[in-house]
This record gives sequence, C-alpha cells and structure tokens, in this order.
Amino acid sequence: MDHPQTPRVLAKHLEAFQYKLVRVLGRVVQLRGETAVVDAGGSINLILNRDCHLALNHAVEIIGKVDQGLNVKVQAATDFGPNIDFEASNAVVEATHRHKEIFYDDD
Amino acid sequence: MSYSNNYETSYTSYGGGGGGGGGFIPGDGSQNSPSGGPKDYTRDTVRPVTIKQINDAQSVGEEFKIDGAQVAQLTFVGQIRNVSSQTTNLTYKLDDGTGSMEAKHWNDKDTADEPSPGREKLVEGAYCRVWGKLKSFNDRKHVVATIIRPVEDKNEISYHLLEATYVHLHFTRGPIGEGSGGGGGSNGAAQQQDSGGHGGAALAGHNSVAKRVYEYLRTTPQTNEGLHQQDIASNLKIDAAEVSAAGDQLLADGLIYTTVDDSTWAILETD
Repeated sequence: MDHPQTPRVLAKHLEAFQYKLVRVLGRVVQLRGETAVVDAGGSINLILNRDCHLALNHAVEIIGKVDQGLNVKVQAATDFGPNIDFEASNAVVEATHRHKEIFYDDD
Repeated sequence: MSYSNNYETSYTSYGGGGGGGGGFIPGDGSQNSPSGGPKDYTRDTVRPVTIKQINDAQSVGEEFKIDGAQVAQLTFVGQIRNVSSQTTNLTYKLDDGTGSMEAKHWNDKDTADEPSPGREKLVEGAYCRVWGKLKSFNDRKHVVATIIRPVEDKNEISYHLLEATYVHLHFTRGPIGEGSGGGGGSNGAAQQQDSGGHGGAALAGHNSVAKRVYEYLRTTPQTNEGLHQQDIASNLKIDAAEVSAAGDQLLADGLIYTTVDDSTWAILETD
C-alpha cells in the first residue's frame, strides 16, 4: 500500500502513538514560524515543513509523525477552513478507536 | 447543519442521474440480464463505508459482502492522492486514512462534451465523495464510480465516518434498541437483520423461554427442515414441556412454522 494508514488521534492519544504516523484534525491556536500549536482535544505542538500554510483559527488536518517529545512532525497539511464542527470530528476519533475493525489494522 | 443539506442534495442528484440514464451505471444491465429473472431491488442499497471496509470486503462470485451483508452501491469519502487520465476513464487514487482505493470514472460518450460539474476541483489533495460499485480485476479491487464530486464542506468527512460506523454497527449488532441482537457472528448478519427486525418487535409479548427458543432457531446452523424440539430442549437445557409450550406460542404468532412433523420447527422468514 503506497499510502499507509494514518490513525486519527487527539492530544491524549499521542503517547500511545509515539514514533507512528498519525492524522490530527485541530484548530490552529498559535503560529510561531517553524512551529505551531493546534487544539485537538488538548494542545499539540507541530513542527512545520516548508509546504505548510496554516491560518490562525482555521481547522487543519495534519498527517505527521509523533516524535520523542510528543510533537508532531508535519508531512502534509490540509486547510479545512474556519467552520469545522470539532465536537463531530472528535467524536469520529473516539469512534475510530472504539470500532477499530473498520478503520485500522492491528500493528 | 449545512453539511447534511449538502448530502441530501447530492443524494438526490445521484438518484436522478442513475434513474434517468438507464444503463448509466456500467455493467449493471449486462450483469443481470443473463439470469433472466427480475432484478432484486431489495438489495439495491447505497452503503457508506471506509476504504478499509472495501479492502476487507469478501468476494462472493461477482458480488461482495461487508459485515456479511451484500453490497450493491457504496459511497465513501477520501482525499485524492493521484489522478490519471486514460483514454476510457479517469482513475482517482483515494486515501481516507484507513487505506487506499482506486475509483474509476468511465467516460460516457453522451456526456463527454459536458463534464460533470466540479470536475475541475477534483485535483490532488482535494477531498471528494464517490458513489459507485465495487469491482475486482485480477484480484485488485477498484470502485467503478457513478458519481465523484468534490467535498465542499469538510464536516462531511466526519459525517461520513460516523455514518459508516453507524451502519457497520447496525449490521453487526442489529438495529438500535435491540440490545439482544448482539453476539451474532458477522456471517449471516443480513438474514439476522431481517428476521431480527421482525422477530424483535413481535417477540415482545413472549416469555423468556419462547425468546430463547426463537433465538436458538434463528442462530443455529440448520437445514431447511429446521430443528426438532428435543434438540432445542437439550441444547438449551430447558424442560421439554416448556419448549413445547413456547413453540406453540411462536407457532400461533406465525414466528416459526412446522416442517417435517409437528415438533420440528423453522423460523418463518418474512422477506
């Protein structure tokens, strides 16, 4: 498979996904040049690449790798605009972990 | 909620396109004509799925099953990873985080002059929703898309994944409000769903022995002769007289019927 699975996670799941590729949908709360902070059920630090174009307060979907310090090193970012229902998207993350059989393989 | 509206609208346009086109869905006509029989419309549903579910789908001849239920049309949402333009079709490689799947949109010579609306937005990185049929070629699955349209409101992605989860749970655990439907294996979930829906409501007035007898008849592998009441009694460890009385009640309500003799019963399917 050329595009590996990217489990959807919130801040609280990062520890369990250390060194893994994950997918995060969060709201951009801070932009600091090379890094940024998104809120995804809690703060997540992002280490950006040159192709990211994040907008403050917009939702952004990140695909990236969780590093040793539980930062997410971004590989791809997709802007989801200002009108994302995070209650729904966070419910999706919970559903993907509870009913993993239709979302992700076991490691 | 703007995204649910969005969905309704496109759903309508899907129905319009499929119905009005007549043979608009490639392969649909030819597949059914050899059998000569009338088309079975009861299975003609659109099922929301994740790409992992498509990859995991079991093939049964020409058809596919997901959670034990046959899938005719399916719909999914994914991000476009690659678009390749062929002479006869456009192939989109889609990724929804659970896997990748190719969706082929065949060129239709009747509509070639007027490409479907939103086509220019179907570029790499964009999210789209696909409606189509699952096909397999050389053991590689792909979806023959009837419609591919861009996802304008990204909330539709959450909506779709939650809907796919809901439908998955419906097939594996039974409809909402029927807690006892759980525990059934994924095989035969389709039948379970039908009879479960029927039996669930009708069983309400029955005692626990009758419910257990019904459950046992419903879930135990058997021939079309059904099961003998002695077997049921010994397997459920219930007194034979009680099973007999429970059977009488179920017979009276038309939930089961007698087969080779008065004490051999089978579930009366309602479809």
